[in-house]
Amino acid sequence: MSLLLALRNLRRQFRRSLTALLSIGFGVTALLVATGFNAAMFEEFREATIRSQFGHLQVTRPGFQERGRSDPWAYLLPADVTLDPALLPSGSTISPRLLLNGLVSFGERTLPFMSEGIDPARDMLDDRSLRIELGRRLGPADHRHVVLGEGLARQLEVEPGESVVLLVNTPTGQLGAAEAEVAGVFSSFSQEFDDAALLLPLSLARELAQVEGAHAWLVFLQDTSATASALGPVRNALPADEFDVQPWYTLAEFYARASALFQQQLDLVKGIVVFIILLGIGNTMMMSVLERTGEIGTVMALGNTRASVLRGFLLEGALLGLLGAVLGVLAALGVGQLLALAAIEMPPPPTFARSYDAALLITPPMVLEVLLIAIVTTTLASFYPAWRASRMEIVEAIRHAR
Amino acid sequence: MAIVKVEKVGKRYPLGEQVVDALRDVSLTIDPGAFLAIAGPSGSGKSTLLNIIGCIDSPSTGHVFIEGQDVSGKTPDQLADVRARTLGFIFQNFNLLPVLSARENVEYPLLQLPELSRAERRERVAHYLDMVGLARFAEHRPNQLSGGQRQRVAIARALATHSRLVLADEPTANLDRETGRSILELMQSINSKAGTTFVFSTHDSHVMAMADRLVHMEDGCILRQEERSAQSAEEAAP
Repeated sequence: MSLLLALRNLRRQFRRSLTALLSIGFGVTALLVATGFNAAMFEEFREATIRSQFGHLQVTRPGFQERGRSDPWAYLLPADVTLDPALLPSGSTISPRLLLNGLVSFGERTLPFMSEGIDPARDMLDDRSLRIELGRRLGPADHRHVVLGEGLARQLEVEPGESVVLLVNTPTGQLGAAEAEVAGVFSSFSQEFDDAALLLPLSLARELAQVEGAHAWLVFLQDTSATASALGPVRNALPADEFDVQPWYTLAEFYARASALFQQQLDLVKGIVVFIILLGIGNTMMMSVLERTGEIGTVMALGNTRASVLRGFLLEGALLGLLGAVLGVLAALGVGQLLALAAIEMPPPPTFARSYDAALLITPPMVLEVLLIAIVTTTLASFYPAWRASRMEIVEAIRHAR
Repeated sequence: MAIVKVEKVGKRYPLGEQVVDALRDVSLTIDPGAFLAIAGPSGSGKSTLLNIIGCIDSPSTGHVFIEGQDVSGKTPDQLADVRARTLGFIFQNFNLLPVLSARENVEYPLLQLPELSRAERRERVAHYLDMVGLARFAEHRPNQLSGGQRQRVAIARALATHSRLVLADEPTANLDRETGRSILELMQSINSKAGTTFVFSTHDSHVMAMADRLVHMEDGCILRQEERSAQSAEEAAP
């Protein structure tokens, strides 16, 4: 009955309650849209990072992650991948990569490059990993072909179809050189990477450096959420003194930092929303309390305790929060649908090289979180008015009854 | 044992820069089953006395005993329990909760009594609504009822908790004479049938005439008391 009473009291001041509901709903929508927008952006960012840079799991020689860049040839893996694919969830692929640094020349210009030799049949297959801006991506049949990062191609002033000369140091201190045709120009999520990177077939990389083997075996899973469960079997299968296995989330430092930064911004949005709800609902509830002074006196004369009066108003506040939040969640889901239909291209965030489509990723835990925030906040906002109500002098309060 | 014993009660409160003595050294004993009217002009202290007996106001000096218990030192929660279980209130302005139907208004104070089951509550509500003649209006909201009907709902509400003492502050002041009289007659019949004690304040001579005991107040003091047999009270009724 107390729930019924609270609902009816809310309905009695329909317009005021509606205003309160709308302001809560608006805050919740803003919060959920901001959270969902971030989540979608970071999901895309995360997938791109995994597909292009780290793989879900990365197998290297122990120590390679720390010192491999300065002394790459000390950390070569065997020529043949010794990881049994049967250990992985179905649909997974294992792809070796070989790191190679050197100089790339086109005409009069020579620039340093960082490169990765990849298996074009298994690696960098789609737009999530590598977006081709000009020309085409590497194919399984390619051998003397490269794709260049957008920034590198621009500085070299080279276009697809033209040939560049690659120059690298081999482990034995000799120079390896090869001519390769530019198959395409790519952009990844990282501008820094695009300014200095090129990709070449693993076969060409091995030929240039005159080595067998690879620096890393990248394991790609179908589903990123399966990373943690796939990690154990792979670690167990490979002797720890010879192999180091790391999941993407320990490697993707930039992703973690950016994600933490955006999380902070979201917390600020949360703070603002909570503050607005506190002020707005506090005011609404105070008006309700003052208006119902006579009723408060009456129910206390009838034997209601102070605590039950307090509870009544808190319940009303909580109910406002719940209803407003439900409205807000529905509105946010609507915004998500609209965005999906409209396909709005967003400009690239700082240090990101390319734009992406705006989208919302709204998950049940997010919905639960905003519901909780709204209910807790409105209840808190009701606390002072409810307390004032419960402390009224009964005789004084009854005089207000009309 | 007296249902109410007021012992040398004084009440003073500040009004602006002055201190007002609303009650001075008032003593009064009310026996169970009384149908007692407190009469006096406004400002005589009758409402203050009623509020103090009703445990919604506290005396500055003196003691009040309800069913032998001294209520002067009780905490707000203990007083709320006394009000919930022993006392019933009827107000000048009816004071029904506007968002609740007649039935729900009568049920409302029963929610403070956790020992009552839902079925018992329903049963009591039906019984008392029927007693005040409003069974047909159970689902009506207060604003759909006339003043007299509202006051009948309030009476049912005051009785539903099986109160031994019902306090009514000017119960007929907002009703026309005819309706006021029927309300008083209803109270009187409940008083004689169920033995519920009624204490009400009034300045209407017709109402005073129906009481079997009349307490005259002025300036915060009891001026005089009249004891009348139930019969003479009925004869006095117009």
